[in-house]
Amino acid sequence: MAALIDVFVQNPAVILTIGALITLVTPRHLASLILLIVTALSAIKLYTLGLGEYGRISLIGEELTTLRLDPLSRIFAVVFHIAAALNIIYGWGQRDRAQNFATLAYPAAALGGVLAGDLITLFIWWEIAAITSVFLVWAPGTRVTYLAGMRYLAIQVLSGVLLLGGIVLLYRETGSINFDFIGLRDANGAIKFSALVMLLAFGIKAAFPLLHNWVQDAYPKSTITGAIILSIFTTKLAVYSLARAFPGTNELIYIGAVMTIFPIFFALIENDLRKVLTYSINNQVGFMVCAIGFGAINGAAGYAFGNIIFEGLLFMALGAAMFRTGTSKATELGGLYKTMPITMGLCIIGAMSISAFPGTLGFVTKGLIIDAAGGAHMLWIWLVLLFASAGVLEHAGIKIPYFTFFAHDSGKRPAEAPPQMLIAMGIAGALCLGFGVYPDPLYALLPDQAAIAGYHPYSPYHVVEQLQLLLWAVLAFAVLVLIKWYPAEVPSTNLDTDWLYRIPGRAFAGWVVGASGATFNALWAIFSGRVHAIMERIYAVHGPEGQMAKSWPIGFMALWTAILLGFVLVIAFFA
Amino acid sequence: MTDHNHNPDEKPGWADTKGFRNVFLGVLMTACVLSALAGFVPAFQKDHPHFAAEGFPVFFALWGFAAFMFIVLAGQHLRKLVGRKEDYYEERE
Repeated sequence: MAALIDVFVQNPAVILTIGALITLVTPRHLASLILLIVTALSAIKLYTLGLGEYGRISLIGEELTTLRLDPLSRIFAVVFHIAAALNIIYGWGQRDRAQNFATLAYPAAALGGVLAGDLITLFIWWEIAAITSVFLVWAPGTRVTYLAGMRYLAIQVLSGVLLLGGIVLLYRETGSINFDFIGLRDANGAIKFSALVMLLAFGIKAAFPLLHNWVQDAYPKSTITGAIILSIFTTKLAVYSLARAFPGTNELIYIGAVMTIFPIFFALIENDLRKVLTYSINNQVGFMVCAIGFGAINGAAGYAFGNIIFEGLLFMALGAAMFRTGTSKATELGGLYKTMPITMGLCIIGAMSISAFPGTLGFVTKGLIIDAAGGAHMLWIWLVLLFASAGVLEHAGIKIPYFTFFAHDSGKRPAEAPPQMLIAMGIAGALCLGFGVYPDPLYALLPDQAAIAGYHPYSPYHVVEQLQLLLWAVLAFAVLVLIKWYPAEVPSTNLDTDWLYRIPGRAFAGWVVGASGATFNALWAIFSGRVHAIMERIYAVHGPEGQMAKSWPIGFMALWTAILLGFVLVIAFFA
Repeated sequence: MTDHNHNPDEKPGWADTKGFRNVFLGVLMTACVLSALAGFVPAFQKDHPHFAAEGFPVFFALWGFAAFMFIVLAGQHLRKLVGRKEDYYEERE
């Protein structure tokens, strides 16, 4: 028993989960402090553990490795801790118990998945992540968020069910439940069904094209802090899982390339800027999926690290504007730079970083992916990634800061963001610039040290190429604004794949419920009619006016004998 | 939540002045020209380009400009296809 407890308490994910549970019973005003202390304790535990495999336990004859810290899981674990700490600081003083619980329980689950050395442990954390995160979607407590949360939960649980199915199929094929390289194809080049099921499970959480829309449906409906937390963990756990199980899978290159492209166009026409950022998540994860397809794990892991910081910063800056104005719609924002200059400055740092301007975290991590496309000599994919980079500049680099802080003057003159938000955004901004100027500590964390050894992000041609691409794209924006061809924002709802299950899918589900209810009622009417008829017949024979009533004791006896005989026969049959 | 009312008599902010706009455009255009010129300097070119396009000194400038233009000018038409009223789902759910 003591050994089992030891297995659990040395796992940083369990430490975080315990911390989250503690906030459910402690005074509300202490919640943020407790969450931050527990995150620090977990980070210290992670640091002191060192690389290796820990927490082995036997379950139904199989040995589980509940904690594996290797270079790939380490970089994700580190950035998850940074993100969790920033989220806690940003939402400092938050008193909602459910949100405080989810603020740490959900990152804990994602961390547990990243640290899982076997697929059973991964599955357990995978499901806990789904359940804990839905509290953030439900947090606003409206009917709209309740419905969105149910849709979100259904999709997340579907991913979990597919993962479990994949694990069972894989176990039957290989006899192993280790969470290592799986690969989509067997030695003969045929697609393995088990791997396909597992890829689909990961693909739902990574928001592959056509499976992507749960992100836009759920995340922007959460609270200000909730959306920031949600934006980080689920998709990155999926990226980690793909990097672990499917590196070098050719199909992922094309899936990733599509992911980088289509969200650009939806983001362009979207009025809700938080929704724009959710399309940005799809686009950014697309770059990572592409990198995994190339087998460039450094690119995927490094860019995931960077994205969590700078996309988080953009979410935080927009959240601060929303906290002060009550809206995240482009048509209702604008001109906030006059009274929120620090938030504006930090937002621009995040925007430049996600656009990968030299000197930022985005530049030193995105180059790893673009170079991998070049190294693979895939011209069209390389061109697509460059095209998508211009798209990132458009929707995340320009649209977010431009429509929030500049563009048309909304007339709103809110106060600067509160100190806790400024501190969290300031740390994120410092990380964007710090790693951008001096990426060595980040590169030291990358999983493939042999591949990164000869990489120099600030080679002259890298800088010139990137500056040409971005500056001329900004010039295109300036030209379009000057000649008034840049489209004005319009309040609207833009249909996406969620329309399929929210309108016709919902109607179909309603029809199925109605039809099955009507069928049941009809069958019940037939059954109850028959029973009624039989009872009437029995009454006619055995009732006070019936023939058998003349010898009631005998009839009664005969009836009970028959019932008992039937009962004994049934028992004898099953015994 | 604080939302102070806009005073119609206040002076335009620094980003709304013509002077800032001119400086911004001036710096941007200068940087664009310099980055394009840098593409012609042999020391700033790749020794072993993966693709022929990389050998073209202003390829990235043209690709970035064209991509941005295409995304905005073509992408806005998507609104005609998928754009609906703001309360589209609220009415139906």
